[in-house]
Amino acid sequence: MSGYLTQQLINGLTLGSMYALVAIGFSMIYGIIRLINFAHGDIVMIGAFVTVGLVTATGLPWPLIALGVMITGALAGITIDTVAFRPLRGAPQVTGFITSLAVSVLLQNLGILLLTAQPRNFHFPEVMRQRLPVGQATLSIIDLSIVITALVLMAALVFLVKRTRLGMAMRATAENPQVARLMGININRAILAAFAIGSALAAVSGLMWGGKYGQIDPLLGFLPGLKAFVAAVIGGVGSIPGAMLGGYLLGLAEVLFVGLLPAEYSSYRDAFVFGLLIVVLLVLPNGLLGRSVEERA
Amino acid sequence: MLEVVGLQVERGRTHVLKGLDLAVGAGEIVALIGGNGAGKTTTLMTLSGLIKPRAGEIRYTPPGGRTAVDLTRIAAETIVRQGIVHCPEGRQIFTSLSVAENLRIGAYLRSDRAQVAADLARVYGIFPILAERRQLPAGNLSGGEQMMLALGRALMARPQLMLLDEPSLGLAPQAVDQIFETLAAINREGTTLLLVEQNASMALELANRAYVLETGSIALSGSARQLADDPEVRRAYLGVA
Repeated sequence: MSGYLTQQLINGLTLGSMYALVAIGFSMIYGIIRLINFAHGDIVMIGAFVTVGLVTATGLPWPLIALGVMITGALAGITIDTVAFRPLRGAPQVTGFITSLAVSVLLQNLGILLLTAQPRNFHFPEVMRQRLPVGQATLSIIDLSIVITALVLMAALVFLVKRTRLGMAMRATAENPQVARLMGININRAILAAFAIGSALAAVSGLMWGGKYGQIDPLLGFLPGLKAFVAAVIGGVGSIPGAMLGGYLLGLAEVLFVGLLPAEYSSYRDAFVFGLLIVVLLVLPNGLLGRSVEERA
Repeated sequence: MLEVVGLQVERGRTHVLKGLDLAVGAGEIVALIGGNGAGKTTTLMTLSGLIKPRAGEIRYTPPGGRTAVDLTRIAAETIVRQGIVHCPEGRQIFTSLSVAENLRIGAYLRSDRAQVAADLARVYGIFPILAERRQLPAGNLSGGEQMMLALGRALMARPQLMLLDEPSLGLAPQAVDQIFETLAAINREGTTLLLVEQNASMALELANRAYVLETGSIALSGSARQLADDPEVRRAYLGVA
């Protein structure tokens, strides 16, 4: 394989890891309360700024910073659900959808108000920029950490959802909240858990985003949020493995589109991503791993 | 054990229950029969807390308990803790969970692991087919097997009082027989049953006492034998001319 192609695949996996982490939250939240949460992308932004804040204020080692970012993200998710979405339970789907747009606009403007719209530099230690040779390509330590962290977190998530009592309660609530209550499950808690976990993953991808691209601003969550939504839909919204698969496929497709086509097409990368969504939905209306709505009912 | 007084329930703009009174004594099997739309399912959903009534009381005294609890003031997920389990209409097992997970989720609130394991073995003993299929997604089971799973799931909560909504619905006659035999066995082991059924003849055969529900209130009540011999009941619910 040529070094160029290897390099593109590495870049695609890195981008895909970040999309996948955000897409998981989209899918979990949709799966459990059928809410398309457009404010989810803004958790990425919160995660990026919390990273900068924690680094400046505490100077803790990076793994602890990442933990702090995930905890803050989880708290943000819990707050958003409690304040914005819980009062609307049982309302038509479109009400939640519009509310999530409002929450997104609110978070972005709060960011501009408190942090100014000026992009800030995001300083990762120099050692993270070192590049390791992989065949004829190179892999930066940042890329490597992003991919490994993402895979570890996803493995932990799969364990939690498949093997723990909380995971079982969340799956039961997603399938049939009324009967879940008959089992003694507190469904509000199961829903909060989905928001907390999904938002923690989105926040840590904000840390990664900042580390990878070096600059952050209060609107940075919009595009990754939208693309993670596309990834979740491609994978089959509501399916966690689907969100992971969709994230990686989208990351790879986007990078290869830019990398393999002549340079003048690269400004169409976003159009390509959304075009891909339309094509996938035409062929597979439930996404790659999604179940049909009829089957769910 | 259970005493329902003047229960009034509205669903949307429909006044479904208009002052329902009924009582269930410890160890009994009580059947609630009635036509479509009489309010049978609504009654059970109100007892288990999924619907909150507009007026009325549901007094529940757990066996050995001295004081009655008013269930209308407690949330559904807490009522389970009181020892009341609702086995809902249409089985409603979790199709995306495995058979074994469906049973374990029935014991969701219990922390006595050894006892839960023993109860799991007991359920597999009653329904060996579930043990054979324990790793399969519950959605792959046949209708009769799904009903067994729903019953097993309810048993896993160690209920004092089981609320059963149409256990015979959509099942083949042999499957119905097996389910009703199991219900009789469950009752012999000490669980009180409140049974809602369209299949009135089966229900009256199994039950000690029965109520006939008509458009939101009790029209008739008595021992199952009395009602089975009542000409009105025979004409309207047992299909005997």
